[in-house]
Amino acid sequence: MAVQAPPTTRPEPGSPTPQLGELLRQAWREFRSMRTALVLLFALAAASIFGSLFPQRPISPQRVEQYLLDHPAAGPVLDRLGMFDVFGSAWYTAVYVALLAALVACLLPRTRSLVRMLRSRPPRASARYARYHNHAVLAAAVPPEQATEAARRVLAGRRYRLAGHPGGELAAEKGYLREAGSLLFHVAFLLLLVGLAYGKGFGYRGQISVVEGEEAANARVNYDSFTPGRFFGPGQLPRFTLRLDDFANAFHPDGTPSRYAASLTALDGSGRQLRRQTVTVNHPMTVDGIRVYQSDYGYAPVVRVTVKGRDGKPVTPQDGPLLTLRDPVTEVSNGAVKLPMLDPQIGLDVTMFTGLLTGDGPGGRPTLANDPRLVNPVLVVFGWRGELNADRAQSVFTLDRSGLQPLADRPLVIPFGGERDLPGGLGTVAFTGVKQYSVLTLARDPGVPLVAGGAALVLVGLLPSLYVTRRRVWVRAEPAPGGARVELAGLALQGKPAFAEEFRRLVAEVERALGRSPGGPAGVTLTADAAPPPVREPGAARHETRSRPGGT
Amino acid sequence: MSSATLADLSDTLVWLAVLSYVVAAPLLGLELAYRSRWAGRAGVAVAIAGLAANLGAALTRGLAAGRVPWGNMYEYSMMVAAVVVTGWLVWVARRREVRPLGLFVLLLAALAIAAAALTLRVPAGPLVPALNSGWIKVHVVAAIIGTATLSLSSVFSALYLVAERNERRAAPRPPLVAGGARTADRAEVDEAIAGYAVEELEATEAAEAPATGRRLKDLLPPAARLDDLAFRTTAFGFPIWTFAIMAGAIWAQSAWGRYWGWDPKETWSFITWVVYAAYLHARATAGWRGRSAAWVSVLGLVAFVVNFYVVNTWVVGLHSYAK
Ligand code: HEM
Repeated sequence: MAVQAPPTTRPEPGSPTPQLGELLRQAWREFRSMRTALVLLFALAAASIFGSLFPQRPISPQRVEQYLLDHPAAGPVLDRLGMFDVFGSAWYTAVYVALLAALVACLLPRTRSLVRMLRSRPPRASARYARYHNHAVLAAAVPPEQATEAARRVLAGRRYRLAGHPGGELAAEKGYLREAGSLLFHVAFLLLLVGLAYGKGFGYRGQISVVEGEEAANARVNYDSFTPGRFFGPGQLPRFTLRLDDFANAFHPDGTPSRYAASLTALDGSGRQLRRQTVTVNHPMTVDGIRVYQSDYGYAPVVRVTVKGRDGKPVTPQDGPLLTLRDPVTEVSNGAVKLPMLDPQIGLDVTMFTGLLTGDGPGGRPTLANDPRLVNPVLVVFGWRGELNADRAQSVFTLDRSGLQPLADRPLVIPFGGERDLPGGLGTVAFTGVKQYSVLTLARDPGVPLVAGGAALVLVGLLPSLYVTRRRVWVRAEPAPGGARVELAGLALQGKPAFAEEFRRLVAEVERALGRSPGGPAGVTLTADAAPPPVREPGAARHETRSRPGGT
Repeated sequence: MSSATLADLSDTLVWLAVLSYVVAAPLLGLELAYRSRWAGRAGVAVAIAGLAANLGAALTRGLAAGRVPWGNMYEYSMMVAAVVVTGWLVWVARRREVRPLGLFVLLLAALAIAAAALTLRVPAGPLVPALNSGWIKVHVVAAIIGTATLSLSSVFSALYLVAERNERRAAPRPPLVAGGARTADRAEVDEAIAGYAVEELEATEAAEAPATGRRLKDLLPPAARLDDLAFRTTAFGFPIWTFAIMAGAIWAQSAWGRYWGWDPKETWSFITWVVYAAYLHARATAGWRGRSAAWVSVLGLVAFVVNFYVVNTWVVGLHSYAK
């Protein structure tokens, strides 16, 4: 029997236009159809592609800026289309919300039909058992009722659900776990996505830099970057302070890093120790529900700048570690000292190289090593005077040179431990040490338990839904000379080849059960189909089953 | 042996593996075309030698770098090829009739290694700290097995498309209305599939009549069998791929503090996953079962290829360990 597409509802004869309610119902049916689900899955896959074609703001804002500079014409259009934040864009959200809605719409009727299936009894077979792929006839030397009873025990032992039908037909079915697993899979996937959205909405992520030996309070102002969820209020940041006791990095012989380790202590508001842990790349620390990860590091050369103040007395506006931005490719670290309190204002570009190798270059000139390890650090300082524009937003690592003139045409090169005079008797710069700072990522994601639970259930549901098959077996026995003629039929809705094998074994078992029942052994098979050679098993020598190959 | 010697040895073994696979494939082609048993046996012998070279290449590379041999995409491809070939050999041991399909399996493996050796090769080196975690091993092993089985299933789907077209031409039959559901009612889906199989029976048997030509397309196994193979490999690979993505997310959570960040690599793994999920759906959807579903599966292979070669060479993300 071919299953036709379900009958489409036509407008009532006599009414010229379809009813609105009817239209809506039809649209709803279409919405929760498999076809819609399929189209939406494709739409989701296709929409995701865009997210990998263009640089994404949440991942790397710098590359987006670069892209906009490189493509002045297309860039802004793409930006308006949300191409630089595809996964946060309205149209991407629309696709997945539609998919989620379709999923929920699907789950309702599917759950209802599973419940109906579990409540109802296994259905009757079609009248002609011989039509089924799996079919066997046995002759039993017992009355029909006893024969059916023997088969019932075998099927019950194999955990089939059973139902007796009029005329003595026994219907058996198993494999409900398939649909239950599939439902669990879909519900769990929904749960996972809900957890994802919840964590994103109520969590946050940000980065804090802490220099060795120093502390940073977990406050909004101390974050270099801060990405709160839509529903994350600033008052929700727990109050604690992180102290970086020590930072260590180790390297492989070829210079690639092997380990970063930040020894951190978390202190509460009154300075009491909450936690103390060495945080390495795969081992974060948890403080007050916030996870602290080691994500990057940089150098903070200890720099002392002494200049003449406005009253002529020497002042040291900079005396301590200076945060610099480390370029991970060249291993050059750049920072800036800004002295807006002087007149004219003074700015220093400070560059630290990890290694100055004397006499290594051509003609015995010194060369700079771009080694991630501190070999022989050297500071190169270039001074500027003029207007720093300190009231404008700018990076702490660089100077805004638009209002500045160079102090001299050659930079100062200061070896580790050395001190040099600034041009024009302005003052001195001393390079007294190097510290490291750690870039810590702090994140709170309250959705994680939900996502993890959902993911686990996705797997739990997936396996039975792919491997359990639903199958039915029918048995009927009718009086025959010498006892009964027992007919069995089997139908697998999936996994037909494996079921053919199972059916064969089942028939053999029924035959053995008939043989053990009072009244003597079972008799000979009656299947007349001569086409495929009967498959014989040792224990089933006296019947023939007929199994035709079929697709799954 | 010094690590440089080991790395050199690995480079030699890798090409030896490619060579063996390329030699074994046509031998299995001979079996497919002329039912030549000796060619099939020789093909398997050469393929086993190739697998040994393949595993040797991975082992020496791992020893050279002093770590597991799946730290970058080049090594990953090598492992995928080894898993594909191992899977096929295990299968051959259980069912002789899949032996000639080795033609396609071995070409896939040879192509995977050669393409990676030419485009993704990097010198053997240590892992960056982020990759130093127990979960990476779980993640990568699952990803290797998932990639291998799912791409194999797409190859079966592609072969199905050829065989099905062939059979349709040989024995034209009226189009089927059945074969899938229009609603989410699982019972209806099941009945529809069951009905389809009953309907299909006569037609398939007709199509299984001995093929006449000697052209490749005439020598393929029956379409229904290929369809079944494709589904069963997907059913095996899909949960593993699902698990691989999850293990990757756990690792990302411990390394970067976020389990999912839509970096290009993650995005394409997700796209691949969605496409194979769509394939599983398509098999149960009216008007999609059969050819269209098989095309969806082929699309999955395309997604894998993009994930490997395009994303790794053109697009960079946090996963740029791949480079
Ligand atoms: C949210 C996105 C979805 C994903 C990722 C997804 C994924 C899957 C997967 C992997 C399967 C095969 C394993 C199983 O049977 O459980 C499947 C089966 C199924 N899905 Fe979905 N699905 C989604 C949405 C939907 C929707 C919206 C519907 C409603 C029409 C639906 C209905 C079904 C049905 C009826 C099956 C069983 C098909 C069969 O008998 O093989 N799914 N889905």
